[in-house]
Amino acid sequence: MSVDTLSPLPGRKQSLLSRLFSRPLDVVISVTVLLFAASVLWQLSKWAIIDAVWTSPDATSEVCRGVSGACWAVIDVRWRLIVFGLFPYEEQWRSSLACIVMVIVAILSCVPMFWTAIRLSALWIVGFSIFYALMAGGVLGLTPIAPDKWGGLTLTVFIYAAGMLIGMPMAIALALMRRATLPVIARTTGIIIDSVRSLPLITILFTAALVLPFVLPEWLLGDKIWRVILGFALFFAAYEAENIRSGIQALPSGQEEAARALGLTYWQRTSRIILPQALRNALPPTINQFVISFKETSLIVIIGFFDVMASGKAAYGSGEWSFAWVEVYVFVALIYFIFVFSLSRYGAYLERRLRVGQH
Amino acid sequence: MSETAIQIRNMNKFFGTFHVLKNINLEVAASERIVICGPSGSGKSTLIRCINRLEEHQDGSINVLGTELDDNVSHIDQIRREVGMVFQHFNLFPHLTVLENCTLAPMLARKTPRGDAEAAAMRYLERVRIPEQAAKFPGELSGGQQQRVAIARALCMAPKILLFDEPTSALDPEMISEVLDVMVSLAKDGMTMICVTHEMGFARQVADRVIFMDKGEIVEEGAPADFFGAPRNERTRQFLNQILSH
Ligand SMILES: Nc1ncnc2c1ncn2[C@@H]1O[C@H](COP(=O)(O)OP(=O)(O)OP(=O)(O)O)[C@@H](O)[C@H]1O
Ligand SMILES: [Mg+2]
Repeated sequence: MSVDTLSPLPGRKQSLLSRLFSRPLDVVISVTVLLFAASVLWQLSKWAIIDAVWTSPDATSEVCRGVSGACWAVIDVRWRLIVFGLFPYEEQWRSSLACIVMVIVAILSCVPMFWTAIRLSALWIVGFSIFYALMAGGVLGLTPIAPDKWGGLTLTVFIYAAGMLIGMPMAIALALMRRATLPVIARTTGIIIDSVRSLPLITILFTAALVLPFVLPEWLLGDKIWRVILGFALFFAAYEAENIRSGIQALPSGQEEAARALGLTYWQRTSRIILPQALRNALPPTINQFVISFKETSLIVIIGFFDVMASGKAAYGSGEWSFAWVEVYVFVALIYFIFVFSLSRYGAYLERRLRVGQH
Repeated sequence: MSETAIQIRNMNKFFGTFHVLKNINLEVAASERIVICGPSGSGKSTLIRCINRLEEHQDGSINVLGTELDDNVSHIDQIRREVGMVFQHFNLFPHLTVLENCTLAPMLARKTPRGDAEAAAMRYLERVRIPEQAAKFPGELSGGQQQRVAIARALCMAPKILLFDEPTSALDPEMISEVLDVMVSLAKDGMTMICVTHEMGFARQVADRVIFMDKGEIVEEGAPADFFGAPRNERTRQFLNQILSH
């Protein structure tokens, strides 16, 4: 059996083989490592797939008794709790539809047709309003459901999307204000950014949820969930503003000068010349910030919200399934992975797309 | 006597405590072509950048096409719409195509409809002889081509005055003439021009007046024949010797 008949790329495969097995010592090391990797992979697939239990016909943990593989039946039985939290059972279609709307909006924003500031903001505001209407109800004959009933993955998606939607314009505003020609504005903004950055997110969330009610008048307070989202957005904005500012500072001063010499006003220069280039420069750290923020949503559990992490814990926490915590966490990890990995790939795609025409 | 395009009176400019421009008096008539030369750091760029308020002057007055250049933003905008500028490093917008570079300002600052702006842009791109590059991005062009796009971009605002700040000094020698040719043809069409340049051939050919600056002062000015033939000031002679000897 020759290597050539096996591989469509004989050259590459042969060079790999020759590098791994050229000298006796190489052979020993390669074989050891490969054997080890194979055994880990085998154990893993034995646990996760071959010996695993996938469903539970009677919705109890009986099927998993004495089984050595993974008990995925816990996901089969409890996935609704993980994804929807305590959202009323008969209304959970609304929660799934809301999530689907959000995914569609996210996919549509990858289509270059939507890549103008106006269309992109319109898309997100419309998508988010539908999401909110579906979740909160009270319109079109939908039963109202208070935010404290929201939970699971949907709540995570909601807080994240709302936080980013509010945080991004806030970040742009902060970055521009920090560069304002009036020293008062520039300095005050600098102090705000630096103060927010020096606080841990937990402190900000605590303040928003628990301290503000003592300080602010009732009519200014709003629902706890919105205060938390604002806190989350502010925290994101403080970091993202600095990313954007670095993107602005990377521009040659000639760009601003040429735009001024052509008679463009401040807003025209900012929206047509400075921001498009600055946001492109700031893309890698911005994607980074988005990824970090997604994972930080899990902190909201501390102030009594039931996000996907907390609902995962609840899914195995109730006696019967308590042995299956590994399976639940693997499932939750998979959810995080899908979100964050898609986000990173989208960022990489944007970077490739936007390089067109740049030298 | 034709009408006055620019009038600068007793103008002084400071960078902090550094006195860059000292008591500048300069009058430019409509359709007049002026070349400014002088050693590095003498304030040539600063002088023409004061004319469209890229730099602010501290003392004296600048009047452009009858509009006083003061802190009134609408005066500044008005003057910038009428005064085009071409930079040493082109300063094209790299995220926009050549055509978009040319149509952006007319559409935003003059509210020209897109169709008209594009038609005008194509006319000016033909004028600088690169209409075939309209759909490209600036990064895909040579230096000489970029500078010609920059001239077309300035022309698209239909300015009454054009300021050039060393438009050829960032170019490879073989590209200098393609840019100078365009400038000569503009001069022939009666454009009011102020060019900071060390291209003395260009100065001889098109300038009505050559101005020599040193240490923030206008040291000498005159018609090219007098200026090059019989410079009166010692500093001018030294400068011309240096620049013409190589
Ligand atoms: N933004 C600034 N702040 C402080 N000093 C400046 C600034 N811009 C220019 N200068 C100084 O002002 C002086 C005149 O500068 P300017 O650029 O006008 O000279 P120039 O005649 O155009 O020289 P070059 O031929 O090198 O372009 C120089 O000494 C320069 O260092
Ligand atoms: Mg200069």
